[in-house]
Amino acid sequence: METFNHIINGFGVALMPINLWYTFVGVLIGTIVGILPGIGPSASIALLIPITYGMDPASGLIMMAGVYYGTKYGGSTTAILIRTPGEAASVMTSIDGYEMARNGRAGAALAISAIGSFIAGTLGVVALTLFAVPLSSTALKFGPAEYFTLMLFALTAVASLSGKSPAKGLLSTILGLMIATIGIDLQSGQQRFTAGVAEFQDGIGFIVVVVGMFALAEVFRGLEKIHSGTSDPAMRITGKLWITREEWRRSKGPIWRGSIMGFLIGILPGAGGTIASLLSYSTEKRLSKNPEEFGKGAIEGVAGPEAANNSDTAGAMVPLLTLGVPGGGATAVMMGAFIMHGIQPGPLLFQNRPDLVWGLIDSMYIGNVMLLILNLPLIGLFVRLLYIPSGILYPLIIAISVLGTFAINGSMVELYLVLFFGVLGYIFDKVEIPIPPLVLSLVLAGIMEQSFRQALTLSDGNPVVFVSSGISATLVFMAAVSLALPFLIPRLKQVTPEQD
Amino acid sequence: MKTDKLIVLATLLLAALYWFATEQIREPLIGDPIGPKAIPRLLTIGLLIAAGLLWLETLAGRKTRAPGTPADNPSPARQPFFILAMVGSTLGYFFLFSWLGYALATALYLYALMAIFNPGKTRANVLTAAGFSLGSYLAFTRLFGAQIPAGLLPF
Repeated sequence: METFNHIINGFGVALMPINLWYTFVGVLIGTIVGILPGIGPSASIALLIPITYGMDPASGLIMMAGVYYGTKYGGSTTAILIRTPGEAASVMTSIDGYEMARNGRAGAALAISAIGSFIAGTLGVVALTLFAVPLSSTALKFGPAEYFTLMLFALTAVASLSGKSPAKGLLSTILGLMIATIGIDLQSGQQRFTAGVAEFQDGIGFIVVVVGMFALAEVFRGLEKIHSGTSDPAMRITGKLWITREEWRRSKGPIWRGSIMGFLIGILPGAGGTIASLLSYSTEKRLSKNPEEFGKGAIEGVAGPEAANNSDTAGAMVPLLTLGVPGGGATAVMMGAFIMHGIQPGPLLFQNRPDLVWGLIDSMYIGNVMLLILNLPLIGLFVRLLYIPSGILYPLIIAISVLGTFAINGSMVELYLVLFFGVLGYIFDKVEIPIPPLVLSLVLAGIMEQSFRQALTLSDGNPVVFVSSGISATLVFMAAVSLALPFLIPRLKQVTPEQD
Repeated sequence: MKTDKLIVLATLLLAALYWFATEQIREPLIGDPIGPKAIPRLLTIGLLIAAGLLWLETLAGRKTRAPGTPADNPSPARQPFFILAMVGSTLGYFFLFSWLGYALATALYLYALMAIFNPGKTRANVLTAAGFSLGSYLAFTRLFGAQIPAGLLPF
């Protein structure tokens, strides 16, 4: 009953005119960002953090969450019209979506993508509403050892699943943890790796790293693409912006299945929307009576993956809000935003700030309705964004990055650091080192080290504390398995080639 | 594959430097049984493990690839001059930032980039560069109360 009251009160917060406005601004920015190829949700949320500084935390977080799930709607537009996903999770949509557009069914592809996203997004938020309280109650029983092992599992899972090489994922994770050790150690008061630079005493700002590695690095890659002359022309919307009865009949199943799959995968650390949409696509192809149509414009190939990558966002909010452990790059940036507003996500959030957490969750119901309106009748308007020259857009993003970073502390050193991390992100992309593990470990490092040291202090330095309870032992086992599996699977395949 | 070997070497070098820097951290005399060096030491070991695993991946990749087939890693230095030019121009922008102020420096920097990456649209480029710089300056200083260098601007 108490939870029900909190949910109702949350609607009171979400329906406040100011929060409705920020929900709208968030989903609008999300749609725009999703449509524009190159700039993903992580970079956009990072760029918005400085602007939300002066805001009420609930309003700021509602807006940033709007950007996060809004990008998923917009991402399908470019996937369908120019075969260039606006964000990674729309890769699968581009296969059949683009073929539908070539067959004169661009309108139908965009419509089923918006409808599927709406249904899945709303179902995902319903599941988030149901899961949040039981999970946060369980998490309240966690001690420092359980928290440390939980974060260890999250980091190893993300390291293993990001990119092609698990070793590079691990390297990226450790680099993030190393960056987080710069500054004054809060427990001993000693300086670590500051090299005598006064600005480093408070550590390397999270915003500096995220803006550099996501926003600036993406701009460098985009400008390089223009420089080398590899741009894609956009297709015009053709056909009615609606679906036929037959197309709806074919899409219903994939949308339901994609919604469930996406939500469950979203809860797992590291998996994310890309894997959810990939699994949905392969499932639909396997279940289809006409699998040969896939790749040639099958509407199931758009409906399922789009549903999966939208309900994934609600799933990803479950561990972030209930455990305080993000499962990927964008939720890691969201967690950074929470912390910068002085709020620690986790089980206590539901007890201490029910207005904020339920206001945020309930705003997602409203945001999904707004997104449906923005992405169906108004999609023709947004598609015009595709015709903005990238040569104008990318330089503006550099200026926004610089202004946003400088506005926080007025520090020139931080601008040089943004440039450094921008170049580092560009190099990471060239050598295929994934960036999300670095950002995730940077966000979790502080609380992870604190839990580690607390657990060891309580156990008089005995490391057995990390496997002494059932929960922490299971999490350590899962961390070891997630790290070992990517190395073992190829070897097992080599041993049993006949089974491939 | 050559790139991966370079990453392994760079990781080993970083591990050595990080280990050296870790040993320079002063231990507190009282109060903290674990100490500020514990996590950095573990991270150094983690770096060595990552380097080792990457080395194994490189070896496994060499075994599975047929002779004469090129490695699938992209060349990291496909356009080295491009990124150097971007870094140089952005450093120049930062230098002008404190001297000319945000709005003027940004307008110049934006116009320069747009002239290169959006050529032949001088009017649109000038208007966008000037409009964005002035608009964002006024928005941040007047609306958000941020302290942004005015430089040569009188307001």
